[in-house]
Amino acid sequence: MKPIDPRLIARIGPARRYVTVTAVLGFLTAFTILIQALLVARMLSGELAPTPLTEDGLGSLGWLVPLDTRELATGLPVLITVVVARVLIVWAQERLAHRAGTRVISELREAVVDHAASMGPRWLATGKGTEVVTTVTRGLDGLLPYFVRYIPQLMLAATVTPLMLVVVLGLDWLSALIAALTLPLVPMFMILVGLVTRDRSQKHLEAMERLGARTLDLIAGVPTLRALGRERGPATRVRDLGNASRKATMGSLRIAFMSGFVLELLTTLSVAIVAVTLGFRLLEGGVSIETALAVLILAPEVYLPLRNVGTHFHASADGMAAADGALNLLEQAPIRVGTAGGRSVALETLPLVFDSVSVATGDGTRLAPSHLTFTATPGTLTVLRGPNGEGKSTALLALAGLLPPDEGTIRAGIGGAAVDLNDAGADAWAAQCAWVPQRPELGIEGRALSLGQRQMLAYDRALASGRSVFLLDEPTAHLDGAARERLIARIVKAAREGATVVTATHDPLVIAAADLVVEVRASPVLSPVAGPLGASS
Amino acid sequence: MTATPHASRDATRDGQAAALPRLNVRSLLREAEVRPLRIALSIGAGTAALGSAIGLAAVAAWLIAEAAQMPSPAALGVAAVSVRFFGIARGVFRYLERLASHETALSGVVALRTRAYDRVARSDASRVLSLKRGDIVARMGGDIDAMGDAVVRSIIPLGVAATVSLISVAITTVFLPIAGVALAACLAAAALLGGALTWRSAKLAAEAGTVAAARVSTATLEAIEGAIENRVWGRRDDALAELRAADRDAERAAELAARPAAWAAAVIQASQGVALVVSLWLAVTAAHHAGLSPTSAAIVALLPLSAFEAVSAVPAAVVQAFRSAAAARRVLAITPDRDGREDGDGARGADAQPSAGDSANRDNLTLALDGLSAAWPRMTPTRPVTTELLSGGALGIVGRSGIGKTTLLLTVAGVLPPAAGSVTVGGTRVTAATLGHTIAITPEDAHVFGTTILENLRVARGDVTADEAADALGAVGLAPWLASQPAGLDTILGAGALTVSGGERRRLLLARALLSPAPVHLIDEPAGHLDADGIDALRSLVVAMKAAGRSIVIVTHDLAILDVVDEVVSLDVD
Repeated sequence: MKPIDPRLIARIGPARRYVTVTAVLGFLTAFTILIQALLVARMLSGELAPTPLTEDGLGSLGWLVPLDTRELATGLPVLITVVVARVLIVWAQERLAHRAGTRVISELREAVVDHAASMGPRWLATGKGTEVVTTVTRGLDGLLPYFVRYIPQLMLAATVTPLMLVVVLGLDWLSALIAALTLPLVPMFMILVGLVTRDRSQKHLEAMERLGARTLDLIAGVPTLRALGRERGPATRVRDLGNASRKATMGSLRIAFMSGFVLELLTTLSVAIVAVTLGFRLLEGGVSIETALAVLILAPEVYLPLRNVGTHFHASADGMAAADGALNLLEQAPIRVGTAGGRSVALETLPLVFDSVSVATGDGTRLAPSHLTFTATPGTLTVLRGPNGEGKSTALLALAGLLPPDEGTIRAGIGGAAVDLNDAGADAWAAQCAWVPQRPELGIEGRALSLGQRQMLAYDRALASGRSVFLLDEPTAHLDGAARERLIARIVKAAREGATVVTATHDPLVIAAADLVVEVRASPVLSPVAGPLGASS
Repeated sequence: MTATPHASRDATRDGQAAALPRLNVRSLLREAEVRPLRIALSIGAGTAALGSAIGLAAVAAWLIAEAAQMPSPAALGVAAVSVRFFGIARGVFRYLERLASHETALSGVVALRTRAYDRVARSDASRVLSLKRGDIVARMGGDIDAMGDAVVRSIIPLGVAATVSLISVAITTVFLPIAGVALAACLAAAALLGGALTWRSAKLAAEAGTVAAARVSTATLEAIEGAIENRVWGRRDDALAELRAADRDAERAAELAARPAAWAAAVIQASQGVALVVSLWLAVTAAHHAGLSPTSAAIVALLPLSAFEAVSAVPAAVVQAFRSAAAARRVLAITPDRDGREDGDGARGADAQPSAGDSANRDNLTLALDGLSAAWPRMTPTRPVTTELLSGGALGIVGRSGIGKTTLLLTVAGVLPPAAGSVTVGGTRVTAATLGHTIAITPEDAHVFGTTILENLRVARGDVTADEAADALGAVGLAPWLASQPAGLDTILGAGALTVSGGERRRLLLARALLSPAPVHLIDEPAGHLDADGIDALRSLVVAMKAAGRSIVIVTHDLAILDVVDEVVSLDVD
């Protein structure tokens, strides 16, 4: 995983601006840290030097802080100004980070939802929709720590660390050399530790996941066990699984914490070595006391951002994974039916023709429906009949222009004047169809209603919509007695009044009322079919 | 039917998240069976780690200051060694601290989860059977993990912040007491003010954020899951506009919470700055006028640069404390306390052995519904039902969707108290305690465990043999399916049974029902039409149960099986 996903920067404006502003704030932070260190060195060195200081001990960087800041009366006000500046920078960074983070999350969420809404029914049926809902809500919320903590530290690592290294070089080349030699050791050792422990940690991770899944599975079954009076035994199993999982987790942590250990050890130890070297060179007169103090204060700052990047990386990993998933979805092609801005067709008077239409199932192993041919004429009721899973609902979706057939054509009209759905504007086509699924949701208003109530409302609305084509999926599946007969009468009436009505049903009463009954059959895929969802994909 | 109770439970949960949660550390640690010594050891290791950083800074300051006085090189020897020692010790102790704290937290989580499982399993049957699977998994999974996180990310860092701050103050005080007081004041301001502002931020985020997040979730769900309907009915733009509005809400809520968080960061930075300015001023002045030695002055002046690392962790620790407390409340909501009212309902411990099944005459296990009417709280009760079902009889319950068939079945099972009338088996009133003994129930969404087929059947009865299992599967028409499984009865089914089709899953549950020892079994058939195999399976189940002298009650939509039952009750009023 890249530290900053370039797709995020490219697509989301606030992310781009935020990274830029944070880099600038990073430089400002580096500058204030530098001035603060030099000021403290100036003010303190007068008291530490055995004889009054005459020369500028800061050498080439001396111009940054005038010599008279050695006096408290001059130095302290400047130091206070620097402290205030640092507080302001920290405050501004926090505010910007939160604002940018929430903005980026919203924009990414809106982009993904917009895109997901165009992915079509087949994609939704695979359960990907639910996955995306989780990703763009709870998942993307995990991006906030990424923006508030991780990116600033990353920017500091990219600004403060090199800048401090240059400054230390300007002050004392030997200390800079120590730092420059240890810095590359940090990633090197971390990669090495990672490589050496990869297999073991993968094994532990798998064990952890397996045990975790088994525990949750056991827990998810509590109501079932209770219903059978068998709930008391598994508590011990929960404990045993938990303990096994704890052992696996600790095994993996012992390894995972090694990289943190290497990081801490190298960074702290090199600061210690810089300090000891400075002490002995001070003794020999190799460095001035001012330089020694400044380097002593600055040395930890070289490593601090690196350490923090490591700390915040894991806290941000979930959010980054969610962003990755979201951005991946944005790269998938949405479903295409018809032609954007294609011919507009008045379905009111035209028969709808299914000409040997096949649609591959999501896994590409079957065609459901397979080579379905029929003509639904305005003013008639057509019934699609067949066992579950043979493609009745899919045929209705294709008829509504919501799903492209993998083989065959769907046309409006007969003969030379017929218009292929592929050449028509799918939006205008769909807008003439009143489609009612088996489990209508009805949007926000449907939320408070039971399935039965939603179905009733959906049929009321569809039948009163004045649309030309009615596509009704199992209209009577949940109705008994009088209600069922009433709905069938309304459907027949709609057909008699001139609508093209197509229903998928098992109901003998509906079948009896039909003008045309079509058997829908699936078939296994023998050869790869064309289309994005075919077996070839 | 169960929509209303769930909706109200969700509302309470949001309310609880928004309320100010209190994390009672002592009771949490007791529940988690964590010994205080382990916490102390972890804090000790953490203190040694951050203390090493302080030690490194202090000794390095002394070393530089001493070296500037041009002593003999030997005078620096001990300091040089100590600096290197602290340089190594920090990493080592930090590693130990992380291991110790995680071990403590993980064992705590195991104890908490076992306890929570036990409580859920033994609590009121109406509560358990109405829990949504997603809710149970979220509470017992992620939320209990979040409670454990309190140890690693809250209790121990706060403890370390306190001890390390004390060490810094002590070192400073030894050399210059007034500077020690100043440092203590700045550290306290950073920890307390920073902590309080963070707490306020977390509280605002929970209050405004939870509501906003719920609106965002709803809008997202509606725009994605309803995408097809939205397209047909021209609602797509409305759905996206609602999401945008919800997102603006969420941004406003986040903005509200972000303000105190930014102030907390500023306060900590300012405290450190003030400590540096004041210490430097005091140290230089004391060295100049009061004869403080240069080495002491260097230590006092430079210590604030490293002393604030521990208190910088306070905001994150406070946020974690808030989260863990909220998680603990949610867990508590589904796992009533030991002292809670659940104790009295007899559904736990040895006294849970039911009276009806064992004490009543086994030959007289007539199920009698007398004017029975069922309802969830605040819902319209079902039409009263009076009927008797002798041992080995079969009863079908039919009616429109939403009329209350499942509710009535749960009442017959003793899960819900009757809205009116009574249920008895062999003259003994049915209660939650009889569930699973006299009466067992196979709900619509019964769980298929991620284990072998055989173990899945043993859920009904622990001593089911392989032959019995194969017979039961054969009785529900799953013999060909079993034959096609790679390891037969030992084939492991996917978690959540995703590898099993809907029809196979239902029939597996029927085989399980067939093996249950309970003399009365209730079956809730899912809505929608069964295919021919499903109807056959249900019919053969009824026949087999009756032949074994066991009674069966089936809620169904499919009138095709009603010819094998002895009696049909319709809940429809018209």
